[in-house]
Amino acid sequence: MPAPSSSSTTPSSPIPSAPRWYGGWSRQFYWGLALAAVIGAAAVTALDPFSYHETLLDHWFGPVQQEMDGFEVMLRHAVWLLIPLGAVTVAALSWSWLLQRQVAQRTQQLQRELNERQQMEMALRESEARFRDVTEAASDWIWEMDENLRFTCLSERFYDLTGIPSQYVLGLTRWELAAMDSAADPEKWRRHREILENHLPFRDFVYQTRLSGSHNEGRYLKVSGKPIHDSQGRFLGYRGTGTDITEQIRAETALQESELRLRRIIDLVPHMIFAKDRHGRFLLANRATARALGATVDDLIQHSHSIVHNVAEETERMLADDREVIDSGTPKFIAEETFTDHAGQVRTLQTIKIPLTEPGLNETAVLGVAIDITEQKRAKEEVARMRLYLKNIIDSMPSVLIGVDPWGYITVLNQPAEQTGGMSWEAAQGRFFGDVFPQLEGQFEQVRQAIRLGRPIKTPRMTLDVQGELHYADVMVYPLMADNASGAVIRMDDVTARVRIESMMVQTEKMLSVGGLAAGMAHEINNPLGAILQGSQNILRRVAPDMPQNRAAADAIGIDLDRIHRYLEQRQILRFLEGIREAGTRAAKIVADMLSFSRRSESRFALVNLEEMLETVLRLAASDYDLKKKYDFKRIVIERDYDPALRLMHCDKTEIEQVILNLLKNAAQAMAEEGTPAPVITLRTRCEAEHALIEVVDNGPGMDEKTLKRIFEPFFTTKDVGAGTGLGLSVSYFIITEQHNGRLSVMSKPGQGARFSIRLPLSREALP
Amino acid sequence: MTDWILIVDDEAMIRENLRAYLEDEGWRVAAFESVAPALGWLRNGDPCRVCIMDMRLPDMDGNSAIRALHQTYPDLEFLIHTGSSSYSLPEDLRAMGLDDSRVYHKPLADMAPLAAAARRLAARGDLP
Repeated sequence: MPAPSSSSTTPSSPIPSAPRWYGGWSRQFYWGLALAAVIGAAAVTALDPFSYHETLLDHWFGPVQQEMDGFEVMLRHAVWLLIPLGAVTVAALSWSWLLQRQVAQRTQQLQRELNERQQMEMALRESEARFRDVTEAASDWIWEMDENLRFTCLSERFYDLTGIPSQYVLGLTRWELAAMDSAADPEKWRRHREILENHLPFRDFVYQTRLSGSHNEGRYLKVSGKPIHDSQGRFLGYRGTGTDITEQIRAETALQESELRLRRIIDLVPHMIFAKDRHGRFLLANRATARALGATVDDLIQHSHSIVHNVAEETERMLADDREVIDSGTPKFIAEETFTDHAGQVRTLQTIKIPLTEPGLNETAVLGVAIDITEQKRAKEEVARMRLYLKNIIDSMPSVLIGVDPWGYITVLNQPAEQTGGMSWEAAQGRFFGDVFPQLEGQFEQVRQAIRLGRPIKTPRMTLDVQGELHYADVMVYPLMADNASGAVIRMDDVTARVRIESMMVQTEKMLSVGGLAAGMAHEINNPLGAILQGSQNILRRVAPDMPQNRAAADAIGIDLDRIHRYLEQRQILRFLEGIREAGTRAAKIVADMLSFSRRSESRFALVNLEEMLETVLRLAASDYDLKKKYDFKRIVIERDYDPALRLMHCDKTEIEQVILNLLKNAAQAMAEEGTPAPVITLRTRCEAEHALIEVVDNGPGMDEKTLKRIFEPFFTTKDVGAGTGLGLSVSYFIITEQHNGRLSVMSKPGQGARFSIRLPLSREALP
Repeated sequence: MTDWILIVDDEAMIRENLRAYLEDEGWRVAAFESVAPALGWLRNGDPCRVCIMDMRLPDMDGNSAIRALHQTYPDLEFLIHTGSSSYSLPEDLRAMGLDDSRVYHKPLADMAPLAAAARRLAARGDLP
């Protein structure tokens, strides 16, 4: 039986290196084991008193034969040896495995413990290092006070940070260290002392030292502390940390000052400066903004725009702009927007809105600067209005106005000038005025002269050819007086109408003076004329042989009336008498004509049938033949060209009859004198827009320009002396123009007949 | 019998010519240069039916003379013979029955119409 003899050799002490230990142990073990087996077997064999093993061997292999050699016997004994050896080996291997497992478990446990210890050690070392680092690196120092509240200890950092050597501080109380500060704010210090005397902990007490150390000013310190007690709870003093916050405070102060300065600046700016978030809340507003909204700056901040500005339409628009800027992230320039301030005044703002991102804000805001341009806008509008007004003034001026530079290039045209030149201002600008207004080309010399002399130069009654018609224009060139604008303005007024009116006025004046004269002398002349004419009539009657009274008288004195009559005829006395009579009649006619020139106060206008009137005049003209005997009206073909639309018109019938009769007689006379072969007079009426037109047209000899010019002048006649008074047409002219507010004109050329046109106003109101 | 006709005109030759013509026409003519002697003549003279009155007279104007004569002699008919071209009949004279046909402007180259008018007026006075 194998004995558990090898237990004494069981290793038990832990060996640091497990694998090394395990290998050595194993080799020795197996050697030991083999030796023990051999010894054991030898001992068993040697000590076998009953030779039990021989029995056993015989049992197994059979009894030992004689012939068996020593080798076989040795083999038998070897088997015997091997049995315990195998048993021991098995036992040893089992033991070994068990041990090995236990060792491994133990080793693992040890390893774990070892690791933990190492980690703990490391953490401790790190913590120590950190603490060292923190203490060294932190801005804080450590201080201690004794039970009398006097500094007993200050870490190195104190000097590093404050520049105050700690020996100046040790032994002082805190209030002694901060004498000035405690004087400045005793309340703060009173509370602090209370805390200290009551041995309470405190945090973040800030004060200023009177000591300045290597720095110039007292330092700001922030300290925290806890009371210290011993194991019996007796108060030992204070321990705590301190930090120098001077720089921080200075930075804060500087920041505050800087902010204040900026605040002052933005408040001084007269423009509105503000910042709003996307909900329209004011993040910033300067005083101008607050004033405009009728609030204080503080009121405004954090209030919404829509609350402080209650004009919905404007608020909506402004907030929409804000959002646009915030969303797009690009600035927006608003050239003009209306804004109603708190007083209800509508102002015009020019605003720029800029997206604003600030570190403190998690979303973009908008920064706005609004400039009140109400005044500028008003001024601008005023300028524009003034410009328009001035343009209107020059455009409304009936004169042609042409602004030119000293070289004659057009700078300005007014509307009449545009019409006259047939070119717009824009098109004419920069062109030579003579090119646009050829009729004024000759004025260039005047332009230069006006600028040189600095005074206006006039050219009155300049004759112009306007589409073949003779026109008169007054031209004035005046230099521009302003210092910085040299040039001139050419002013042209078409005075054709005025010239005509003036000549007509002269005519009228002449006629009126004739009329006045005639009225004054008519009575004086008419009486002698009466005597002459009546006397002639009586003479002719009283020499007539057929009158009974004449015969009676002749008989009474014994003369032959017939012979007397014959004598009178023979000596042409009767012819002379007839001459006296005719001359008297003509003189009476002149006086009567001259009297027509005086204005009539009494209105004798009536509604007249024009055709009937013309027919009456034609009859009168035909009967006139007998009187004058110079022309034969019946030879003349009368053509009637009456406008059926024109029937009735207002006029002084006898006056108009006189005028037309006069025209007819003149035409007949002129044609008779010239011997026109087929004399024709056309009577034409036309209804014009505002006038009734009556024309008397003949195909007679016509008139030259010289005659035409003077035709309506009083006492102007082309007839032989004695054939006309020279008043007929001037009277007609007077009747038409003065008494009827009409027009009498004539068109004629030598050899081409004449056309007299009477235009009478159709409306009753246009009559005088 | 021949009728009287009264002529008042300050122009002697007008008076004489009218007198000559009207006498040839068979009138008896009384001619004065002013109103006063004419009134005197009417007062103690023969009845007269027609008067040819000038307007501008030395002692008064023709219109007043007509008014004055008409007051005293309502049957007297007037013809106006004036040298003034602007003469127009005053309303009160028109009310007395005068009209523009009674007005004759000097110079009268032919006195026949005047004489005829005078004759017509005298005949009208005879009828009633």
